[in-house]
Amino acid sequence: MPAPQNDVLRGTLELLILKTLTLEPMHGWGISQRIQQFSSGVLDVNQGSLYPALQRLEVKGWIDSEWRTTENNRQAKYYRLTASGRKALGAETASWRRYVTAVESILETA
Amino acid sequence: MSLLSGIRARLRALVHWSTTERELDAEIGFHLEQETERNLRAGMSPEEARRRARIDFGAAESVREEHRDARGVRWLEDAVADARFGIRSLLRNPVLATTAIVTLALGIGANAAIFSVVNAVILRPLPFPGSDRLVKLSEDNPEKHWVHEAAAPANYVDWSERVKSFASVTAYTPGGHTTMSGDGEAAMFYNANVTGNFFSVLGIEALQGRTFTDDETWEKGTHVAVISDRLWHTRFGGDPKTIGRTVRFDEVPTEIVGVVPASYEFPNPKVDVWMPMEWKPTDRSKDWFRRAHWLGVVARLKPGATLAAGDAEFQGVVRQLQVEYPATNRVMGADLMPLQAFLTADIRTPLLILLAAVALLLLIACANVGNLLLVQALGRERESALRLTLGAGRGRLVRQALTESLLLSIVGGLAGCLLGWAGTRGLAALQPAGMLRVTGVSVDWRLLVFIFGITTASGLLFGLAPAIWRGRQSPADVLKEGGRGGSEGTRIRRWGNGLVVGEVSLALLLTVGAGLLLKSFFNLGHVNPGFDPTNVLTVGISLPQARYDSAAKQIAFYDQLQDRVRALPGVSGGAAALIPSLSGVAWTSDYHIGGRPADQYGTEIAHQIVSPDYFRVMRVPVLAGRTFTDADRQGTPLVTIINETLAKREFAGRNPLGQLITDDKIPDSTTKWMTIVGVVGDEHQTSLSTPPQIEMYQPFAQNPNNYMTLVTRTTADPTDMIPAVRRAIADLDPNVAIATLNTMEQLRSSTLARQRFITILLLTFAGAGLLLSTVGVYGVIAQMARRRTREMGIRIALGAPVGRVQWLVVNQGLRLVGLGVLLGTVAGLGATRAMRSLLFGVSPTDPVTFVVVSAILAGAALLASWLPAARAARTDPASTLRFE
Repeated sequence: MPAPQNDVLRGTLELLILKTLTLEPMHGWGISQRIQQFSSGVLDVNQGSLYPALQRLEVKGWIDSEWRTTENNRQAKYYRLTASGRKALGAETASWRRYVTAVESILETA
Repeated sequence: MSLLSGIRARLRALVHWSTTERELDAEIGFHLEQETERNLRAGMSPEEARRRARIDFGAAESVREEHRDARGVRWLEDAVADARFGIRSLLRNPVLATTAIVTLALGIGANAAIFSVVNAVILRPLPFPGSDRLVKLSEDNPEKHWVHEAAAPANYVDWSERVKSFASVTAYTPGGHTTMSGDGEAAMFYNANVTGNFFSVLGIEALQGRTFTDDETWEKGTHVAVISDRLWHTRFGGDPKTIGRTVRFDEVPTEIVGVVPASYEFPNPKVDVWMPMEWKPTDRSKDWFRRAHWLGVVARLKPGATLAAGDAEFQGVVRQLQVEYPATNRVMGADLMPLQAFLTADIRTPLLILLAAVALLLLIACANVGNLLLVQALGRERESALRLTLGAGRGRLVRQALTESLLLSIVGGLAGCLLGWAGTRGLAALQPAGMLRVTGVSVDWRLLVFIFGITTASGLLFGLAPAIWRGRQSPADVLKEGGRGGSEGTRIRRWGNGLVVGEVSLALLLTVGAGLLLKSFFNLGHVNPGFDPTNVLTVGISLPQARYDSAAKQIAFYDQLQDRVRALPGVSGGAAALIPSLSGVAWTSDYHIGGRPADQYGTEIAHQIVSPDYFRVMRVPVLAGRTFTDADRQGTPLVTIINETLAKREFAGRNPLGQLITDDKIPDSTTKWMTIVGVVGDEHQTSLSTPPQIEMYQPFAQNPNNYMTLVTRTTADPTDMIPAVRRAIADLDPNVAIATLNTMEQLRSSTLARQRFITILLLTFAGAGLLLSTVGVYGVIAQMARRRTREMGIRIALGAPVGRVQWLVVNQGLRLVGLGVLLGTVAGLGATRAMRSLLFGVSPTDPVTFVVVSAILAGAALLASWLPAARAARTDPASTLRFE
């Protein structure tokens, strides 16, 4: 069995997806490209794990999906942020910041 | 909103499970395409671009699984998928599936059948309201070796008056016969005498009319009876006017006051007529009222009174009576036990043994199916490895294996239910009369829980090995070795070997049990009953006391009857006896030998009353002295003949002839002494398995009675003589009915019936166990031989003798079987002790049985190992090498 890839933590991946979708509805591959771009290639999203994460968010009701035609006339599933997703993003962002600050302060004092 | 859409997503996922899966596939496909295009733009070759895209994406299968996880419906989807997959893979191998299902159906069916009997007989409450408060009171006498014996009426009356923990106490006589006349043809029915509160203590209500009142226990001058609804319908056509009618029972005018359901079957299932005791109040002070023990006693505990408290108080009263009536009660103890336990006491051990046997059978069946699945799983090694590599979860593979085994066990369980249903009916139909109180095949929750339990448990049990193995194996090893087993494969093969060892040892245990019973049965069948039972007809005839009220009349009737029967063509001899031998009952008393000290009395001597011709007709050898003659009659000195066992016990080395004996415990001036005039060979009085008791015979003419059994020796089949004998009785007195009618062979065979029934059942189970374990050995050895075909081919090609190469495989099989036999023997030596009470003339650790059974098992296993070995060795070496 392949070793679990921890490049991007599970919870973090969901936060990044939500943030990415605030710009516009996007398909899975687009999301993965965008995250890589934003992080200037530092964060390497494990592409396979993107889809289960999308499904989890959809089940929570934070995102919605529909099949649409791309510019190249291809069928793709587009994901869109819902109102509750927008609210959740605020809460998740705050809690991420708290987490980072906490880790940061430990690193500085130690 | 979010909650709603969340639920919607789950629902959609569930309802459109295949659509969701397809969409995911499309999404993944789109992703890979985009990634490939991007790689192309980055300057990779098309092939490299596609490869990179796939590597970056990771294992698609695990993405799918995680995706299903995220949908939160994965377990259900998986279960459905596993079930589909399981059914497909079972259908792919119909021989295996059928074998497994038949094996399981056998195991589960046998368990369902035996358990439903155990449930009906032991577990289900008696059909009386509040039956858990009913207790059986019995007398025990250590001096006479009485355990759970019938009680004396005076003791019963004292118990019911003194023990405060009992709400009420009732007594009944064991079933007898009564002749009903004055209403069409005279007919004999089974009856019981009961105390007035009998029906109210048991909680039985009348269907018509009333039951008895408490004061009807005692004599009232008028006579009443309650009849069963069976008799009411067969004899009176269910006419409501039957209540209040007067018929004659044994010539006594009796009013029918009520009808009760026959289903209550108490004190025995044959009773159709209940009558009150009608004791005289003056009986209470009589000596016999405390000396004669013939009552069954049942008490109902007061609400709140525990069994222990009731017993403690009861024992106190029993001790009071020992002090108050030393002449009769000095050593008379008593015991109390739940009525249900009492009624099922004699059937409990056989049933539990049978239950253990079918449990062993089920274990063997499970091991066998486990082995089959293991063999199948080994054949699918590569498939499993491949799926693991493609990212399928290990847990998923384990569950899939378990689903497959559960599927098998459910189908097997259903088939087993059918088999069990048929089996229960078969058991009820084939059982010796009255052995199992299974009145109907009924399904209740205990049975359903039991069947569901064993079905699931068996599924898990035999699915465990392949499941664990599937979860553990390392795909790389399997693929590298070309499907010929990594270390986990070896471990699992060891598990398979373990299953075979276990199966063989269980089969040995089962077969040893059956072997011991078979030997017991054989021993019983060869017991010499002490007389010649071939071509003897026994007819019990009860004379109505009202008309045959004097010794002269009774003697005249039986004398004339014997004369008439002897004159019939086809009859070589006729005689009369009180109780035919082997009829299951004996009348016993204390005795005293003339000239011995007053306190030197003997106990438990059996009594038989016979006509002079009895010994000649029954071919009982006369060892000393003479038999009775017509000269031994009323008014001549009292005489008796004793059996060999009594002669040896009381007169060892001395001549018993001319000695005096009496059935009084302590002789006094009123004692009637009998002179011993002869010694005869021992007869088995009650059954073949009970050794002959000490016995004394008395002449009928000196001890007349209104009940005797006519024993007729015929020259041909005794059943042919039945019409002629019936006519002879009717010619003599048309109002006399026949109480019992059996050939001596029927009586002999009925004393063996129970043993035969249990032996046949256990033999059947053992046979099935033997067959299954042989199949198990075959399966494992065949698998082993297949794996070694190449090696054997090489050895043969290099010049090894074929026999030697075969031996390699056979040897391995024998080692497994040897270990199984060893373990089974050790277990058997400990376990067979539990069936000691069912054995006759054979020790539970009988070495012959153990050796013979081991040899049979080893022989079967040898055959099972030799077949695949021979096949493997016969294969052309060149072709086996090419095959690889």
